[in-house]
Amino acid sequence: MARFLLLRLGLIVVTLLVISFAVFGVTEVLPGDVATQILGQGATPENIAVVRERLGLDDPWPVRYLSWVGGVVRGDLGESLVQRLPITEMVGSRLVNSLILASFTFFVAMPIAVAVGIWAGVHRNSLGDRLASMFSLVAISLPEFVTGVVLIILFSTTLGWLPSSSLVEPGTNPLTRPQILVLPALTLTGVMFAYVMRMTRANVIEVLETNYVRSAILKGLPMRRVIWRHVVPNAMLPTISVITLNIGWLLGGLIIVENVFSYPGIGRMLLTSIQTRDMPLLQALALLIAATYAVSNLFADLAYTWLNPRIRFA
Amino acid sequence: MSIASFLSPATQESVAPPAEGVPLLEVRDLSVTFYTPRGTVRAVRHASFTVRRGEVLGLVGESGCGKSTVAFATLAYLPGTAEVGGSILFEGRDLMTMPAGELRDLRGSRIAMVYQDPGSALNPTMRVGEQVEEVLHTHLGLSGQAAEERAASLFESVGLPNPARVGRRFPHELSGGQQQRVVIAMALACEPDLLLMDEPTTGLDVTTEATILDLVAELKNRVNAGIVFVSHNLGVIARVADRVAVMYAGQVIEEAPVRELFANPSHPYTAGLLSCVPAPVNETGLMPQLRNIPGSVYPASEPNVDACLFADRCPMVQDICRESAPPEIVANAEGHPVRCFFPERVDSDTWGEPAPRPRKPRSTNEAPLLQVDGLHQYYGNDRKKYIFFGPPSRRPVRANVDVDFAIQPGRTLGIVGESGSGKSTAARSIAGLERRTSGEVLLDGEPLAAGVGDRPRGQQSKVRMVFQNPAASLNPRLPIGSVLVRSIRKSRSVGKAEARGIAVELLESVGLDGGYMDRRPRELSGGQQQRVALAAAFAADPELIIADEAVSALDVSVQAQVLNLIAERQRREGTAFMFITHDLGVVRYISDDILVLYGGHVVETGPAEAVLRPPWSPYTEALLSAAPVPDPDAEPSRIRLEGAVPTLRQPFAGCPFAGRCPRNLGDLCDNTPPPMRVDPADPRHQILCHIPLEELAADQRAAMRGRSAVGEAPGGR
Amino acid sequence: MDRFSGPTGTYWLGTDEFGRDIFSRVLSGATSIILVSAAGTALGILLGTIVGLSSGYAGGKVDEIVMRVMDGLMSFPALLLALLVLTTLGSSHVNIILTIGIVFMPRVARVLRSATLSIKTMEFVQSARLRGEPAYYIIFREILPNTTPVLTVEASVRLSYAVLLASSLGFLGLGVQPPSPDWGLMISEGRAHIANAPLIVLAPSVAVASLVIGVNLLAEGLREARELPKGERTP
Repeated sequence: MARFLLLRLGLIVVTLLVISFAVFGVTEVLPGDVATQILGQGATPENIAVVRERLGLDDPWPVRYLSWVGGVVRGDLGESLVQRLPITEMVGSRLVNSLILASFTFFVAMPIAVAVGIWAGVHRNSLGDRLASMFSLVAISLPEFVTGVVLIILFSTTLGWLPSSSLVEPGTNPLTRPQILVLPALTLTGVMFAYVMRMTRANVIEVLETNYVRSAILKGLPMRRVIWRHVVPNAMLPTISVITLNIGWLLGGLIIVENVFSYPGIGRMLLTSIQTRDMPLLQALALLIAATYAVSNLFADLAYTWLNPRIRFA
Repeated sequence: MSIASFLSPATQESVAPPAEGVPLLEVRDLSVTFYTPRGTVRAVRHASFTVRRGEVLGLVGESGCGKSTVAFATLAYLPGTAEVGGSILFEGRDLMTMPAGELRDLRGSRIAMVYQDPGSALNPTMRVGEQVEEVLHTHLGLSGQAAEERAASLFESVGLPNPARVGRRFPHELSGGQQQRVVIAMALACEPDLLLMDEPTTGLDVTTEATILDLVAELKNRVNAGIVFVSHNLGVIARVADRVAVMYAGQVIEEAPVRELFANPSHPYTAGLLSCVPAPVNETGLMPQLRNIPGSVYPASEPNVDACLFADRCPMVQDICRESAPPEIVANAEGHPVRCFFPERVDSDTWGEPAPRPRKPRSTNEAPLLQVDGLHQYYGNDRKKYIFFGPPSRRPVRANVDVDFAIQPGRTLGIVGESGSGKSTAARSIAGLERRTSGEVLLDGEPLAAGVGDRPRGQQSKVRMVFQNPAASLNPRLPIGSVLVRSIRKSRSVGKAEARGIAVELLESVGLDGGYMDRRPRELSGGQQQRVALAAAFAADPELIIADEAVSALDVSVQAQVLNLIAERQRREGTAFMFITHDLGVVRYISDDILVLYGGHVVETGPAEAVLRPPWSPYTEALLSAAPVPDPDAEPSRIRLEGAVPTLRQPFAGCPFAGRCPRNLGDLCDNTPPPMRVDPADPRHQILCHIPLEELAADQRAAMRGRSAVGEAPGGR
Repeated sequence: MDRFSGPTGTYWLGTDEFGRDIFSRVLSGATSIILVSAAGTALGILLGTIVGLSSGYAGGKVDEIVMRVMDGLMSFPALLLALLVLTTLGSSHVNIILTIGIVFMPRVARVLRSATLSIKTMEFVQSARLRGEPAYYIIFREILPNTTPVLTVEASVRLSYAVLLASSLGFLGLGVQPPSPDWGLMISEGRAHIANAPLIVLAPSVAVASLVIGVNLLAEGLREARELPKGERTP
């Protein structure tokens, strides 16, 4: 187990290196000179040269890559070109905001989705199952910005119950006005919930058809025990991989939802950095999001291993 | 469905109380039909039989004849799409109309089941102890310590090693035989009155099968239960059953006490089945040619008709057989029920006189076709200790160690051994599908490259392989003809039209007509698919065909067709065969020479008649004594091997077989590699053993005499 | 010019802030998103199939390295990868198609590779190797046709993701550049006028939703027809 953990941690480091390299590479080949962008079109060549010098833009790319990665390792994400502030400072509160939104969705939607999925799988083809399947098919078909906008029209513009944008007063955090979280969370939940529910249902159905569940039924066990002791643990294994993959989806959804509701998280910041061509900020945010994804994958892997005796003892 | 008119005397009694004389289980006119999106499947058309306490009813038949469906119906476990006719009475009560709650109370406590493929019947994420304890908890209310102790004693009673601790294991940590013992322990947990065993030894090694059958035979005396034992294997049935019901196309066509059935089969199908099975051990020299049943089983997709369903395959068919269904059951002269118009006409010649097998000309050419010297095959492990760096994370598995043998042109080498003995690996590395680690392989004196892709075209077309699974042997997306044409054009320069002509001839040579050229593999039965695979192998006119368990997946009635095709090809074209099988009867029937592998090592080799007679290597002896014999009077031999072939990461200090050998001499065998001893009677016969051959032969002859004095069937064999 | 006109006989769904007919904008937006999604999916399937089949068939070290690279590509959330690529390349139809292709390639490759791994051990493939067939023949004639059930289901599932991805990119302003009609962008820009003319937003919303639902129903139907298990889908 310890060896497994070490291996996985080693793999994470490798993955992060690859990601950092890719992020750096992508942003490096961007057209347009950063110094020109900072100084505007009217800048003199002399001024540009000075700025280039200061930012180290004339160094060969391996040097720039190493100094960037070195900074990241020390917790220094560089300086935003637009706001002229250390990115580490800018990102802090945004990250907290995003995590609040994401974990709210994750920890509320996932358990319910899994529970509904199990129920629907066990009661396959019942009226409830059909309704759930229909609902989830519609839900996975709606992009977040559509759900979000429709919810705004419904609950904000028409009914006036909830705010249409989720601005957070500077210096406070979203939990001081929890009502602003409701619509973004609901939007973010839609696709995830439907997706995880469908996968859970499919896995439950698959396990229900295995020979060992047949054995359990023919042992005369009460249906309750068959489901909870034989079906669910085995159906959860593939479901965990699915949930893992969904974390990536959740992070993507976060980018959109934050922009729909003007919610001050890293997703909104990412888009702003793209629009303002703030490369150091874009690099930092992309790395941050990818790293979050990699780490959550690690946790999912550990859960999978812990649940699966075949791997646990291998 | 025709209305059953026949009622056995027992069923005319009142049904209500489970009185004396009511059979434990009575299946009456059972029919089961599945309505699936792909069409209607009539799995069981008409089955009636009874089971009494303390007896074993063998339910025998080929695949697709409905025997497993009958077993599951007896637990009222059928999908919702199934339509059931007739009744299944357990102590006089109909299981089909029983309320769900009562049914649940019966299942696992009074009626229990043992399944085929025990690996999939156990929950992979649950310790086996808990899987037994939950039965005890549900039906007997035992829990905690009491349940654990009872589980341990159950494990002990089914012969699991270390019963107190085995419950802590997960299924994947146990061997196939041990898994099946756990399943049996689970079934016995509440001392059931009726035990259903559905092909419990199919898929297990013959050595493991023998130990499980011993356990079943012992259970028969120990528990006072009725047992329904489902199997396709007549040898297995002969070993455990008291009475036998033979099923064909969803009907029970004959039922009789086991000795009566094997001695006087009264249905032509039963007689045919019995004459299809090659017997493993036989003191007479050449075996007569195997007879086979032409055609294939009446398909379950076909509707019920008013005719005998066996008519199209029957050698004694009359007009009446096609015009009306034979009476439900006619008691024949010997008093056992059979579904045939002319049971009295069935005798040993129903399927023709046994044709003597044409003798092969003794090989005059002494130069071997294939010469294998020092073949080593290790499965390395690419994974390093630290992902990409460091030493290999595990030692390589040694699948073949220093294997030597030769095949003469036009002859057949049979290779036998349990799974894990390295026989398939040897085949695959000679064919070039896997690269051997070291060693030399010569074909016609020319060295063969390790990988098939590195061999010149001429050599490629000299070696072909036929595989176990006929369904996977042909590309499901391509018509039959295309693989044949492709093979032909790969090996000789002919045009497309000409190749098609040759392909049709090939199909005809394996008993299929040219109309099959444009069919897809899934439209063919398993036997037909395997014959096409043979035709594809013949297409290149190869000198050597490697058959890896080529008949193991086939029903006995079509197995003989394929074996006879191979024999005929060999006689006509002089093709050499390397025939890998776990079935000793088949190997005896087909082989000129035999090679016995254990743990990747050759433990015995020589001409077939010498290998199959004492002296045997102790491993060969164990294999032979484990093989089920289709003769109820055969006294089972006492030699049993426990466990399985070990995973071979470490070289053996002594004899590879020492760990399981019943004749282990102790330190010598454990720590000193044994010599390859040469049989003075035939120097080609060699045995890897520390025990001198005279001693082995004397011991083994004595053991055989001891057995045949007790068990030789009247009239001999 | 009628700005914010309600539905009339001329403008079935009314007009937007510039007086443009919403209905015709939704219609012409459909052509572009369907083309982009279908082409992107086709590209992703093509690349993924080639990579997955070859890597799976080759096995060993090659396979190990190729799949590590694919894993690396997949360690970016899809939308993030798409944003990075589009920011680099600039927005255009061709670039969006390329982006979708790149995002889908590793996911398709993984599915096809696992299908290949199970097919390549099958006996008919071994027979083809014994006949001396070259690798390309085995990959494309023996293995590829047997992956069609997986492939059709995968393609239909991917298509629905492609529509979601393309419209999301449009919404974030990285889709087709205005004034060409793009459903995502229409929704994004229409948000300012929700109170005046909800149809500006609702019409393209319904359009996206019904397109994706349609594709998903198709995928569902294909899966059932192929009797494939609802295997792991990678969003």
